[in-house]
Amino acid sequence: MNILAIETATPYCALGIATNERQLTRVLDDARHHTEVLAGGIEAMLEECALPIRDLERVVVDIGPGLYTGLRVGIASAIGLAEGLGCPLVSVSSLELLAHGARSAGVRGTLVCCVDGRRGEVFVQRFALDEDVTALAKPDVVKPRDVVIEWATNGAPVTFSGDGVTRYFRDFNAVPNGEVFEQNVPPVAEALRIAHTREPSAHVVPLYLREADAVANFDTRTRQ
Amino acid sequence: MKVLGIETSCDETAAAVVDDALHVHSTVIESSIDQHRDFGGVVPELAGRAHVATIGPVVREALEGAGLDPTHPAIDAVAVTSGPGLIGSLLVGLSAAKTYALAWGIPFVGVNHLEGHLFAPLLEQRDLEWPLLTLLVSGGHSLIVLQEGPGHHQVLGETIDDAAGEAYDKVARWLGLGYPGGPEIDRLAQGGNPDALALPVSMIGDDFDFSFSGLKTAVVRATQKYPDVAIGDVAASFQAALGEQLLRKLRRALERYDVRGVALAGGVAANSHLRILVRALADEFGVVAHLPSLAMCTDNAAMIGAAGLYRFAHDGASALSLSARPNWQLVDVA
Ligand SMILES: [Zn+2]
Repeated sequence: MNILAIETATPYCALGIATNERQLTRVLDDARHHTEVLAGGIEAMLEECALPIRDLERVVVDIGPGLYTGLRVGIASAIGLAEGLGCPLVSVSSLELLAHGARSAGVRGTLVCCVDGRRGEVFVQRFALDEDVTALAKPDVVKPRDVVIEWATNGAPVTFSGDGVTRYFRDFNAVPNGEVFEQNVPPVAEALRIAHTREPSAHVVPLYLREADAVANFDTRTRQ
Repeated sequence: MKVLGIETSCDETAAAVVDDALHVHSTVIESSIDQHRDFGGVVPELAGRAHVATIGPVVREALEGAGLDPTHPAIDAVAVTSGPGLIGSLLVGLSAAKTYALAWGIPFVGVNHLEGHLFAPLLEQRDLEWPLLTLLVSGGHSLIVLQEGPGHHQVLGETIDDAAGEAYDKVARWLGLGYPGGPEIDRLAQGGNPDALALPVSMIGDDFDFSFSGLKTAVVRATQKYPDVAIGDVAASFQAALGEQLLRKLRRALERYDVRGVALAGGVAANSHLRILVRALADEFGVVAHLPSLAMCTDNAAMIGAAGLYRFAHDGASALSLSARPNWQLVDVA
């Protein structure tokens, strides 16, 4: 199956293409230039794979949680592509991609993924990694300090991963029973793999985890 | 030649199919305005969220409405508003426009939203005579533009502070009316006395610029001083003062430039008082008044498609790396 993956949940913009013969993944940018690099990147990578765009059979997109602007660019791009081609659109979450990425790299046991949520918060989700990746809780938005205190207190072995961990590295690294698996970009290779079997969605929107008016109020407060 | 127009600069998600004879094959508008009412203004985050949820269905409906196959439409380009507007809203339409164009193997072109408004009169009257003086007034903008022909325009003046529609919204909020304020003030003013409050008509200099923030302050002061004046009288007085300022500048432009018509554009063009004033002024100068239908006053994608057709024919396609320009000014095109 020919699949295109779009990743814009963090300041990075990444793409992946999988065909029956080959797989190509690439980080196009690391500084929030999703709008400028995404569409041209799709065109260039399709050409590199000698894959006519009409031969795409599936699009997979990271719906977050993450950077709201980035997510809207990535999802709107995915919608335009899938609707325009008439092909199915599959959604994956940034936190599950990080979990699968960690597992593929050999991490086992309890994993806590954290995506930088800005405003002093992280988007967080807990997973168990063994033969498979199992979510142990729903994604949530919390203060990084609360995650650190929770795990330092309960003393259970844990691995932290994601750009939220990188941002608050000193805090996470100070958990005595914790390890850090460095990983900033939710891996598109995992999105391509998941997309083979996951049921497409008819209505794909970002996973915000915050109410819009809370965001608006926050922005108003910070402006003052 | 046929284009798909896409517009997402504020709270309207819109798509339309237009051809180069300026025939509108379909036009679809979905607004998130109901979500913004409680806030007394458009909340950017809410608007951005609404666009992502509606862009796919709106484009599909526009294509199907034009009798086109949504996955193989017989169109030649995608035109999209790339500024000015709310950045989080613009990016949704722009991103989708690029990938629709990629999917269909056709070019895309970024369009200035204000230039789009200037094409609105053409969509309703294809044989209009040039040059044209256009008063473009909305919640975000207030300009007087001299149009020598389609795509050739010179900005004569614009607001130095609030937009006309913004003044309506602020006064409405002060009076405890709903959002948006224009329609409600227009309705209340119908039976009111426009001379009840003495409000200043600011900006009486000999340029073509506007200023509306002082008028809003004057309404606040006057209603504090005379709290017993009926709300309909306040609305009528405010509306008369605002209309008077617009009219004075428009009159001055008509005296200076030899034009064949006067056009109204933008959301405030729906205002009944302003329409009466502009028609009377046009009659006085013996020029044609182009008063847009209510559907053509609001933000729509047909006007973006029309401007896009022109821009594509003259400047070619935009690069896929095009960014949104939230503060993109309308520049003069000779
Ligand atoms: Zn507008």
